[in-house]
Amino acid sequence: MRTRMLLKRFNLTQRLTHLFLMITFLIQAGTGFSRLFITTDFGRSLSLFFGGYKTAIDIHFWVGILMTAGFGVHTIYMLSKIDWKNPVQSIFGPDSLVPNLNDAKHLLQRIRWTIGKSPRPKLDRWAYWEKFDYLAVYWGMPLLAITGLMLKFPLLTTFVLPGWALNIAALFHRAEAILAVSYIFIVHFFIGHLRPSCFPMHEAMFSGSIHLDEALEEKPAWVERLKKEGKLELAMAKPPARWFRAIYFVFGYTALVFGLYILINGIYYSRYIRLH
Amino acid sequence: MDESLKHRTVMRVRLICFWGAIVLLIGVIVMLFVPPRPTLAQKEVTSPIYRYRERVATGYYEGYEVSPRRKRAVLEVPTAQRGLFPFGSASAMVQIRTRLPDSHRGLKFYFRNTCIECHPKQARNIHSERAGITCRQCHGPEPIPAINHYYSPMNPIRRHAYVCAKCHEGATAAFADFHVHEPSGTELSTRESFPALFYASWGMLLLFLGTLAFFVPHSFMVGVRELTETKGFKNVTHQWVLPLIERCRGKVRRFLEKKKLPEHEDEDAS
Repeated sequence: MRTRMLLKRFNLTQRLTHLFLMITFLIQAGTGFSRLFITTDFGRSLSLFFGGYKTAIDIHFWVGILMTAGFGVHTIYMLSKIDWKNPVQSIFGPDSLVPNLNDAKHLLQRIRWTIGKSPRPKLDRWAYWEKFDYLAVYWGMPLLAITGLMLKFPLLTTFVLPGWALNIAALFHRAEAILAVSYIFIVHFFIGHLRPSCFPMHEAMFSGSIHLDEALEEKPAWVERLKKEGKLELAMAKPPARWFRAIYFVFGYTALVFGLYILINGIYYSRYIRLH
Repeated sequence: MDESLKHRTVMRVRLICFWGAIVLLIGVIVMLFVPPRPTLAQKEVTSPIYRYRERVATGYYEGYEVSPRRKRAVLEVPTAQRGLFPFGSASAMVQIRTRLPDSHRGLKFYFRNTCIECHPKQARNIHSERAGITCRQCHGPEPIPAINHYYSPMNPIRRHAYVCAKCHEGATAAFADFHVHEPSGTELSTRESFPALFYASWGMLLLFLGTLAFFVPHSFMVGVRELTETKGFKNVTHQWVLPLIERCRGKVRRFLEKKKLPEHEDEDAS
């Protein structure tokens, strides 16, 4: 059985950021895909949930504005987290999400581990797939925001750009959205829910803590570093309350079911997708 | 007394002139570097040079009246100008269909056909699919003039005002450069007709395929490997699978024992 020792992994701000991103992303995916598939029964039924074809775009636009604002706030938060007295160490150090050479080594070693030819890589606080998750969203959001604004205000856009830029913007907006939705609903959901060590749900993003033995197995370098700095005692957390666990299990599974509904129907009706 | 007053006045006038000259100079330099405000389409312009041009206006918006200048992504090469003698008598017989007053001139059984029968690809566009707009709502009634015919409403010279602005209020020539009937982004022929779309589509497609082709098998392999590890084994097998098997096995055993019981009795009896 698991030990009851818990290690703090995400603070309240980070968890709220994830919750915010989760809700806005699902609304954007729902409204956006309802319009992308509007020629099919799936798109029409999904758009009815968001008030029809025309209301869906209004929701999509305003939630997009909210999301972009959240992106700005998060960027300020990240900048405030950098230790400006020693910026190199804090940007490229192990507590940062900036990829470095160690990630490439860990990736190769983990691939060899999956076929049983190497021990587990000694990962630090952020593994390479977690960094990829984060940075993929971080570059995708400005791209979607800029192309989305271009398409929302075509007359303003064509004051500075030729009209065919709108064709390209539409292509980028849809292709990036499909990429993000596919990645989140296939890979991110698999890593967070279906992977044997996380089944039935990885609770770290909601409870904010992971089991110490899980951290020792998957992220040994992080625990070692905390021990060396004498911060391990400080990083111990209380187990989440029962009612809180119940709430986030229900919430997480609601999001999962909604995502899988979009994914399965999206694959089934994929021949109706018009990219531009 | 008078002398000094005169002197001060002269000095003041000189100072005002000096600083005035400097301010003027800076103003001129700034004016040189500040670009003129972009003239928006369909906006009357007031400067004398434009008013002079207006007197000889041709009735449609010219390049200088819209910003930015139309940059055409699709390159057209008129076929009749190819060959050794492009302006010979033979090429004069060739009808360039994009320039005829009636683009369907001389087609047999024309009035028995629908548009989509000959232009199937053109039917797949966002205007007709999403907004339910028919071909004729933009291309006009019979005879449908060719796109590049001089008096055609579809001519890029006036398309924004005569066609697009029917729905898109304030449409400019640059706005009208949006490609309604765009080619498929991944087809090789698009590389010549609309290169930006071609490279953008292939870039996004490769990014999509590359991301999923790496992360889907990789995550799946990790999942399979974790099943065989102690922790994954414990978590899934010990908590979920083994108890289930144990429960089922107990039921099966009890079921089998019930069946076997009478046989044992028989053996004992004999």
